[in-house]
Amino acid sequence: MKNEDLIPAEEICMHYEVERQFVSSLYESGIIEIITIQETEYIHCDHLANLERMMRLHQDLDISLEGLEAINHLLEKIGELQKENMGLKNRLNLYE
Amino acid sequence: MDFIDYYKLLELDKSATKSDIKKAYRRLARKYHPDLNPNDKEAQARFQQINEAHEVLSDPEKRKKYDEYGKDWKHADQFEEARKQQAASGGFGGGFGGRAQSGQSYSYSGNFEDDTFSDFFEQMFGGRARAEGAHRGGRFKGQDFNAELQLRLSEIYESRKHTITVNGKNIRLTIPAGVENGQTIKIKGHGGAGVQGGPNGDLYITFNILNDTSFRREKEHLYSTEEISLSTAALGGEIQVRTFDGEVKLKVKPGTQNDSRVKLKGKGFPKYKKENQFGDLYINYKVKVPENLTDRQKELFQELKKTGI
Repeated sequence: MKNEDLIPAEEICMHYEVERQFVSSLYESGIIEIITIQETEYIHCDHLANLERMMRLHQDLDISLEGLEAINHLLEKIGELQKENMGLKNRLNLYE
Repeated sequence: MDFIDYYKLLELDKSATKSDIKKAYRRLARKYHPDLNPNDKEAQARFQQINEAHEVLSDPEKRKKYDEYGKDWKHADQFEEARKQQAASGGFGGGFGGRAQSGQSYSYSGNFEDDTFSDFFEQMFGGRARAEGAHRGGRFKGQDFNAELQLRLSEIYESRKHTITVNGKNIRLTIPAGVENGQTIKIKGHGGAGVQGGPNGDLYITFNILNDTSFRREKEHLYSTEEISLSTAALGGEIQVRTFDGEVKLKVKPGTQNDSRVKLKGKGFPKYKKENQFGDLYINYKVKVPENLTDRQKELFQELKKTGI
């Protein structure tokens, strides 16, 4: 993992104007990953999109942490099913 | 410019209070929020309309204007005429920006590229309202799109340009040689349009590689099987073997055993994103035991047998 792909959690909180506790809670719920290097916590840029999504849902729709956990789980499932569906459609195209 | 009944959209009647509007917006936004409906353009469009309806109905001034003109939409012609006259003399006052005579809309926001609000909204409230709406509402990154691209193994031996269609848009991209089956690449900014000034989403393409060759591929290495005659295996010799880019001559050592393997360095598959670097080709020998021997051959084998072979 390259260090330039890691963004300090503190910086993210300042940029998005969210409380540090919210990001920690997302980590504790397993929704995002936090990497600690020399006592500084970082978030990998690949996880940023999911973090942004959770922040939007929390802020726009007042969804609680428990709700976000459930949503995250279901979105993952939807993603897998959409991928599988697309793969099957593509295979089907071969026979059409 | 189609009339949009914002009340109907929010499932409200005209007497709805501010609190009713807020509740209705929340309820519908939870249903159609783009983050909750990945890759669903219909839900995204619906969410934009709901946002637009909320934008208008939650603002007393805009709601008043909407109630006045929106209700009597059948008089649109008169409204259009009045708007044109006013535009010629500098535009409507208040929230009405209207269109310049050249046909271009006024813009108050440089980065507001997407068509978040309907023509109806723009006509009613002008460019200023549109820009205000963009700033007041949340900025969303557009939807990330996922696509699967099916390629044949023979197609990815060299980097090639491909044109793919995602949501009606043609995207031309170069697929580097050596992509892996199941590998996903991200193409930044080619996903759904950002909402209210947000950045575009990304496009994720997953490769589904179908093997249309006789080679087995494991990352950058290729594996194949070649038959050799019993005499070549015993005495050694030269055979022609298939590689991915043509046939090559290969020396077979005397005493080559069945299932033994040789490596042809650099004759495998291209390494992903490493120009002019290739894996290796591993060839498994299958020694073919002769069938249907002629009398002469049988005789010779008998002779060999006597020597202890």
